Amino acid sequence: MAATRFTKMAYANADEMSFGVSKHPVKAGLGLEIGAGYTIPEVNYAPRPEAGASKEKLVKEYERITTDIMSRMVQVGFPAVILETEHVQQMSNNPSWGAEVAHAQKTIMEEYHDEYGIKCALRHTIGDIRENRDFLQLRGDKYSVFLEAFEQCAKSGADLLSVESMGGKEVFDHAVLRNDIPGMLYAIGCLGSMDMEMIWSDIAAIAKKTGTVAAGDTDCAQANTAMFIAGGLLDKNLAHTLAILARAISAPRSLVAYECGAKGPGKDCGYENIIIKAITGMPMTQEGKTSTCAHSDVMGNLIMQCCDCWSNESVEYHGEFGGTTVQCWSETLAYDCALMNTALETKNEKVLRDLFMLSDRYRDPQSYVLAYDNAYRVGQAIVKDGDNIYLRAKNAAIACCDIVSEGAAGKLELSRFETKALADAKASLDSLTDDMDTFMDDCLTKYKSEVKVFLPENYGF
Amino acid sequence: MLDFTEASLKKVLTRYNVALEKAMTPEDAAEELYPKDELIYPIAKAIFEGEEDDVVEGLQAAMDAGKDPITLIDDALMVGMGVVTKLYDEGIIFLPNVMMSADAMLNGIEFCKENSETAPVTKGTVVCHVAEGDVHDIGKNIVTALLRANGYDVVDLGRDVPIDEVVASVVANKPLMVTGTALMTTTMYAFKEVNDKLLEKGIKIPFACGGGAVNQDFVSQYALGVYGEEAADAPKIADAIVAGTTDIAALRNKFHKH
Repeated sequence: MAATRFTKMAYANADEMSFGVSKHPVKAGLGLEIGAGYTIPEVNYAPRPEAGASKEKLVKEYERITTDIMSRMVQVGFPAVILETEHVQQMSNNPSWGAEVAHAQKTIMEEYHDEYGIKCALRHTIGDIRENRDFLQLRGDKYSVFLEAFEQCAKSGADLLSVESMGGKEVFDHAVLRNDIPGMLYAIGCLGSMDMEMIWSDIAAIAKKTGTVAAGDTDCAQANTAMFIAGGLLDKNLAHTLAILARAISAPRSLVAYECGAKGPGKDCGYENIIIKAITGMPMTQEGKTSTCAHSDVMGNLIMQCCDCWSNESVEYHGEFGGTTVQCWSETLAYDCALMNTALETKNEKVLRDLFMLSDRYRDPQSYVLAYDNAYRVGQAIVKDGDNIYLRAKNAAIACCDIVSEGAAGKLELSRFETKALADAKASLDSLTDDMDTFMDDCLTKYKSEVKVFLPENYGF
Repeated sequence: MLDFTEASLKKVLTRYNVALEKAMTPEDAAEELYPKDELIYPIAKAIFEGEEDDVVEGLQAAMDAGKDPITLIDDALMVGMGVVTKLYDEGIIFLPNVMMSADAMLNGIEFCKENSETAPVTKGTVVCHVAEGDVHDIGKNIVTALLRANGYDVVDLGRDVPIDEVVASVVANKPLMVTGTALMTTTMYAFKEVNDKLLEKGIKIPFACGGGAVNQDFVSQYALGVYGEEAADAPKIADAIVAGTTDIAALRNKFHKH
């Protein structure tokens, strides 16, 4: 299907948003309704590396993981859980492997659901295998295998379909290391959005055919790369004011999935999901303080503010003092959800939401912009020119700059370096054309010359 | 909506980067470090500013004044890059500045080579690769840029590099060290195999490894492994080797932080 662009906000104002409640709840799996008044822990895990040696070992590993999580959820009395399996490359390159894992996991989940009534669903996140050693290979043979992996998993037990797609990454990797704002805009906002439209039209069709849910994407490959490079307060690899710019630009890019038929919940590591929830009203998974097993961030509490599912990003399966890692992290997630659900049931959700938000609001420009009131403003800037993928990405970037500048005039402290990087970025944005065709033509010429791994044919040019 | 007072906010968080920011601007700090020679100064400054055209213009002016192109690599380009890496190490400038300066310096080196009959001498060769099965190469790209910026000749094997290709490149290029980066736990096990095959051939050079899921405990499991927590550790490890620290245990002692 063609993309149906969002040109207005789902919520009348930012204060309407809360965790656990979305405008468009999603039914999935075994009795779950996501975003329908309660939050759900979403546990994510990685097999031990040696488990990838054969299909049999891999399936067995995921059986252990699934049983451990379901068992712990029942032992501590939690009513619902989502399991997310992010494919290791063998599972997507060989769709039958992913399918067998999905089947094995779902069989166990069904047993628990039948015996205890625990509500649950299985997300499979297919690996974006569309590349070879030298280049991204977004179209062609690898794309066929990629779609086959979705279909086989959907037919074998996966309820929610996701991917962390990589369109635009080759240009982004070059641009982000050179403070190149137009390059970031082109990579994420234009190339990324174009690739998203292609893949999510096809994924949504597979979901429709198989009776599963096209759940959503994340700009992990780009915005999270920026966040990761930016690192902590004392790291000197990227200004945090530029990292949040990449994040703002990623929102209209990840939005494309929902414009092509995805329903949510959006993928956990999409920190841009708060903006997308404001625009779409669809449920979102988020991760923060509970994903410290995978990476650090500067908004561990804040990002819980409006989540519908709460994730740990990923943890390698092995033993800890308190059980296996998936048991420890699923329990932590579920307790967080129990607190949020208690707030919902006692009508205190806005107080808790604001406590989550405020505890990190001024920690960093990244958290400041993603505070739900500011994220809503970025959303408004996006839908203002919702029909134009370039302009809406540019709008998001400019709104982001304005929000940080306003914050810096108040309680948000910026270093001189962050302030200068922001000013340079704003000046760069202000100098850009409003004409998408001109921008696209100029960038195509520039990056074909500067980025040797950029193949325009990947984007249908 | 809930909000802090200025006083209450300070009890909840501290932006240490703001609190500890150096008083001097990067430009002021660089100005103090530039060489004073009137032919070299504009080249070094152009390197710091990442202005490729200005670098070439400065080099041309110096050559027109009789300077030897190959000598200019060490006396102007590397000096300018030295300013950049020093300020990066001191936390005064950020990585993108280094990357842009490195681009300008490499452009300048090419210009010098084009104008000379002789080849420049480098500090040594380093073979860099991303683990087999892994296509995430931004970390490797930073490592190669920083190594080149510090005067090393880099053999960049790219990403998803077969183990045997790494070993063959080491045999052919005789580097002072190999680097390996990986994002995923599932691919980093290739490092062990590279290690074992190097040892089978009697090659005992340091194998500096780092990246996303790679950690010190893992790298310490194979004989040649030296863990680099940050990309900026790569040139420092190379410098230590050039300075005579070739023993793996000594390198680990120096660079392992945990």
